[in-house]
Amino acid sequence: MKRRIALFLALVMVLGILFSACGAAGPATSAAPASVKPAESALATPAPKQPVTLKFTYWGSPIEKDAVVKTMANFQKKYPYITVDAQHIPADYETKITTMVAGNTAPDIAYLGEGLAFPWAEEGKIYNILEFLDKDTELKKESFLSNIWYDWAPGKSIGTNTAVEAFAIFYNKELTEKAGVTVPITADTAWTWEQFVEAAQKLTIDGNGKNALDSAFDSKNIKQYGVQFGTWWAGWLWAVYSNGGDYLNADGTEFTLTKPEAVEAIQKMSDLINKYHVCPSPIQSKALPAPTVSLQSKQVAMSIDGQWCLLDLGAADFKFGVGVLPKLKTSITLVLGSPTVIFKSTKYPEEAWLLYKWLANPESSIDLQAGGLWMPLLKDWYTKPELISKWAENNAAHPDGYKDAIMKQTMTNGVPGPSYTIKNFAKIDAIVGAALEQVWLGEKTAKEALDGIADKVKPELKGRYGK
Amino acid sequence: MRTKKEAIAGWLFAMPVVLGFIIFTLGPMLASLVLSFTDYRVLIQPKFVGFDNYTNLFSGLDPFFYKSLLVTSYYVVLSVPAQLIFAFSIALIMNRDIKFRALFRSIYYLPSIVPAVAISMIWLWLLNPDLGLVNSLLKSAGLPTSLWIFSEKTVIPSLVFMSLWTTGGTMVIFLAGLQGIPRHLYEAVEIDGGNSLQSFTHVTLPMMSPTIFFNLVMGFIGGFQSFTSAYIMTQGGPNNASLFYVFYLYREAFTFQKMGSASAIAWVLFVIISILTVLVFRSSNMWVYYEGEAKN
Repeated sequence: MKRRIALFLALVMVLGILFSACGAAGPATSAAPASVKPAESALATPAPKQPVTLKFTYWGSPIEKDAVVKTMANFQKKYPYITVDAQHIPADYETKITTMVAGNTAPDIAYLGEGLAFPWAEEGKIYNILEFLDKDTELKKESFLSNIWYDWAPGKSIGTNTAVEAFAIFYNKELTEKAGVTVPITADTAWTWEQFVEAAQKLTIDGNGKNALDSAFDSKNIKQYGVQFGTWWAGWLWAVYSNGGDYLNADGTEFTLTKPEAVEAIQKMSDLINKYHVCPSPIQSKALPAPTVSLQSKQVAMSIDGQWCLLDLGAADFKFGVGVLPKLKTSITLVLGSPTVIFKSTKYPEEAWLLYKWLANPESSIDLQAGGLWMPLLKDWYTKPELISKWAENNAAHPDGYKDAIMKQTMTNGVPGPSYTIKNFAKIDAIVGAALEQVWLGEKTAKEALDGIADKVKPELKGRYGK
Repeated sequence: MRTKKEAIAGWLFAMPVVLGFIIFTLGPMLASLVLSFTDYRVLIQPKFVGFDNYTNLFSGLDPFFYKSLLVTSYYVVLSVPAQLIFAFSIALIMNRDIKFRALFRSIYYLPSIVPAVAISMIWLWLLNPDLGLVNSLLKSAGLPTSLWIFSEKTVIPSLVFMSLWTTGGTMVIFLAGLQGIPRHLYEAVEIDGGNSLQSFTHVTLPMMSPTIFFNLVMGFIGGFQSFTSAYIMTQGGPNNASLFYVFYLYREAFTFQKMGSASAIAWVLFVIISILTVLVFRSSNMWVYYEGEAKN
């Protein structure tokens, strides 16, 4: 009998421990799904001047936070009857917002990762931004760049990025000048892969001062790497795009990273690490500081990264430059970001739209644009010199060449990343990312790794959004 | 009359715990049991899907389930004995009359109060294959180095090795158990001319068996729930070689937004842990000795 009781007690204990350990999952899973009332007349304006409070959630570094706080203050100056309750959620954003939404305290307007935004939009929990745009007198869909829209179905859009981001080469000018390397800035002068590898070899220097082209080069003792890239999807997918490949086929029913053009591109990226030794392996990268600091401290000469790193580079005290990505077949850049959304549960869609427009207007967040973190959403800011001069030139974050290498490239050759359209992308990427870890470590070829997961990826393919 | 009043008062005093258990543990558990039979993505009304979530897991349709089960079991099988032996040995030493005993006890317990995140960050540096202290020491001693958490083969043993550092809590429990062993038993061994090995195997071990039993149960429950090191240090990599079950569960829920399937994953773990607990309890008859019990 005693043992029975002991056994029971132990089970209860196990139970308790198990579920308190999963505390994060507990409340969210147990809460009843939010009974969101769809606003009947979405655009019915409440009587003006009646005080309105909008809840807005966002993530970002302390610098982004400061800029957001500032722009919110200006917004409230312009619309005194609106108070913005701006909540900064620096970490575990998706977990928190999921819990908020489940607990019926969803924000009115929020940054939201596309992995959450798309399924929620499909369920009618997020406004179709085109509804607002159709009625708006100041802004048109055509005012925005065309390659930054998150459409969940034809004519239905979550909206655009919060800000535009794109990939490019960032380099330490002192190091390239010393090695006699000039990084091209325009699409038609972009390096071919061979030129790129040669430049990276010239810029990779061992402990004895010999570069990677030297026959006596010691790849075990590298003091300065020629190039560095992150191994998350954006870090290599641009090369696949440039080689004419894609993640999935056009309707999202076939996994196309196993096609020769994609395999070739990924293998070439891996060769930078494992064949030419001009790029740190994932292990060696762990020992390096953040990419921008590696550039400054001359541990890395060129970094392939998103243009948000301009924020740190602009604040650092050294000469840096920007260049276009090398090309395999065509010169492109990868465009990415994530959307700002308006929740259907908001009581004040009209005011939420005012705030949405405010955030979309580069003028009101000019600190973030000129500071290098964000690129504008509106086309005019890429074409009209008087607007361009407000952000893309004459400041520390935007060196010479920026306008060609990143601004023009984004507008004319910017290819949206897979998360704009691919359904279930987070899960697919978890499978692909894990397999590619073996490639970056040089344990498998790209072909072996990708062929090995093709069957696993297949059941996760759910098509593309916007079709 | 008085006993009834006392009973009511007793229950009232116990209410916070009872209510806490019902509201924050039992309720969510039952809810998650129900949700495990649904397709639930927070904003979207749960759709009843029967056993689909479970068949997805067991049929291997979910590419991570068996992998993570394997990885976690491997970790448990390795870490539980290692932690027990390590903590027990330290406790034995700390129970002796050595110099600076209090200081050493604090030092060995200290890592347990460091937040898990900080510990993970420290070990990330220590285990770095290129710059880490561990490899530098090995190199200077002329020993072969390792890739530690960066290779599929060594990541789990590395995490086990790392977990030994935080067994201070277990050590304290062992220490308390050791101090609870009556001195007269050791004296009896001495009088009968027994050596220290005999006093260890015939007095210490049997008298400690309930403590070992407790730490064993806690150890494997904790092992199955390892999360932080995978979340912070490896993100389950390389190539899912450290995809701990709870990390996999967390990712299913909050990254992939599949709350229904995540609930099913949680319940599978619950059943596994329950079965193992029952087995360990059953086995305890054979090796756990409670004072006053007759034993042959």
